[in-house]
Amino acid sequence: MVAQAIMLGIIAGIGILDSRIFGVLMLERPLVTGFLVGLVLGDVQQGVLIGAQLELIWMGIAGIGAATPPDVVTGGVLGTAFAILSGQGAEVALVLAVPIAVLAQSLGVLVRIINTYFMHKADKFALKADFRGVTLMMWIPPILFFLSVFIPTFLAIILGAEQVKNLIEAVPETILGGLKVAGNLLPVVGFALLMDMLFSKKMAVFFFLGFLAASYTSLDITAIALFGACIAVVIYIVINNNNGNQGHQEKESYNNLTEGEIDFE
Amino acid sequence: MSSQKKVTKRELRQVFWRSFALQGAFNYERMQNLGYAYAMIPVIKKLYEKHDDQVKALNRHLEIFNTTPAVSTTIMGISAAMEEQNANDSNFDSNSINAVKASLMGPLAGIGDSLFWGTFRIIAAGIGVSLATQGNIFGPILFLILYNIPHLFLRIAGLRMGYRVGVNSLERIQKEGLMEKIMSMTTTVGLLVVGGMVATMLNITTPLEFDMNGAKVVVQDIFDQILPNALPLLGTFIVYGLMKRKVSITKLTLGIIVAGIFLHWIGLL
Repeated sequence: MVAQAIMLGIIAGIGILDSRIFGVLMLERPLVTGFLVGLVLGDVQQGVLIGAQLELIWMGIAGIGAATPPDVVTGGVLGTAFAILSGQGAEVALVLAVPIAVLAQSLGVLVRIINTYFMHKADKFALKADFRGVTLMMWIPPILFFLSVFIPTFLAIILGAEQVKNLIEAVPETILGGLKVAGNLLPVVGFALLMDMLFSKKMAVFFFLGFLAASYTSLDITAIALFGACIAVVIYIVINNNNGNQGHQEKESYNNLTEGEIDFE
Repeated sequence: MSSQKKVTKRELRQVFWRSFALQGAFNYERMQNLGYAYAMIPVIKKLYEKHDDQVKALNRHLEIFNTTPAVSTTIMGISAAMEEQNANDSNFDSNSINAVKASLMGPLAGIGDSLFWGTFRIIAAGIGVSLATQGNIFGPILFLILYNIPHLFLRIAGLRMGYRVGVNSLERIQKEGLMEKIMSMTTTVGLLVVGGMVATMLNITTPLEFDMNGAKVVVQDIFDQILPNALPLLGTFIVYGLMKRKVSITKLTLGIIVAGIFLHWIGLL
């Protein structure tokens, strides 16, 4: 158990460092951490299934701008691990992962506040042109980020697994059924967040086109993405041809991104 | 006079690897500043020998910086080209280096966010999740590969282009409206995929049924005949509408959990 807890802590640590020092390779996403948690706990398939569900819920969660989003890393790792350890399905993972992610977020905020101290230290080293000092100040915060998820994950697995199992077994059937429904509803938040980023009245037709294509035909997401790429190229050609006579008239439609300031608190 | 100072492939390669750690020391005061300075250190060391020049250059890049990590190398390339000019030309206005950084980080972040978060990630995750929900362990692997091909390509190409053609090319691209064309193309694909995912990945149905003169009416069947996946569509727009009204994500999430339990209890879902 201790060995597993350490490995799960390391998975969370790698996940949190993904957007810190690995250039956001997407190792932080629940689809990936779910797979790794499954490997450690000996049930890869269940890990992948739960990871996919969590991915849907948090698809829209993004650390855009200065906002600190819910910690999908700790939430994803612990949610998946508890679901596998307690022998329950994805619903349990969803319902545990969401509050865990919100709680864990506060530790991430704390580290970012502490980092200001190292930044000011770096300023002082810069005045002496001390490259090594600046580099050192750069590499201490990632250690803090790592510990901020490793310690809670490790402790939660060591101390909490049994309690979580008992807790879940004590929950009445109607509530558990309701949680299952809630789990199915939650991905809506992810999609709505994506809409907030991409949707505009002008472009709405493409959303509905994708929706209708998937609803009435058996096209899967890969097919829709490929057709979509073709449609985009066709539109590009048409706009280019029009531009010859009419100049630019398509200017302002993409500033809706800055509007999508999302309040995570 | 001293010979021309030049940034070589070696330094650019170092900048490339260091750029991955951009947010390592993220803080609320100046955000990615320390990561940016860290990435520029090889360039600074190569170009400046005098203590004072090194201090000035380090201070420049410790100023506030924040952009989408994937596009950061493009700006770093431009910074490297400008530092090179500054090192060779005593009349060069070194303030322009930061002015350019500050003027690029916003627009490029807008493009980077919509390209990478809004489009490439969604398409990759959509395909990965659709495999993973069938229990296929290649879902996560395919997700990583599909996302990181364009991601790593842009990191490399952006750094090269930024260094080689510098500020001018970006201005030209902006003037020609190329950015907007790229954005409109990727937004098109992104929206199509999101629409498709709402239809295929949301499992929201109602068990509601009632008797009408002895005939059993299953409400879900009616929905399926009029518009399949009507409930997922409705749900998405309700939550999207609430989000537009500035209801916070946390409240929405908790609200949905409560609503899910309640709607199940009264038998609607």
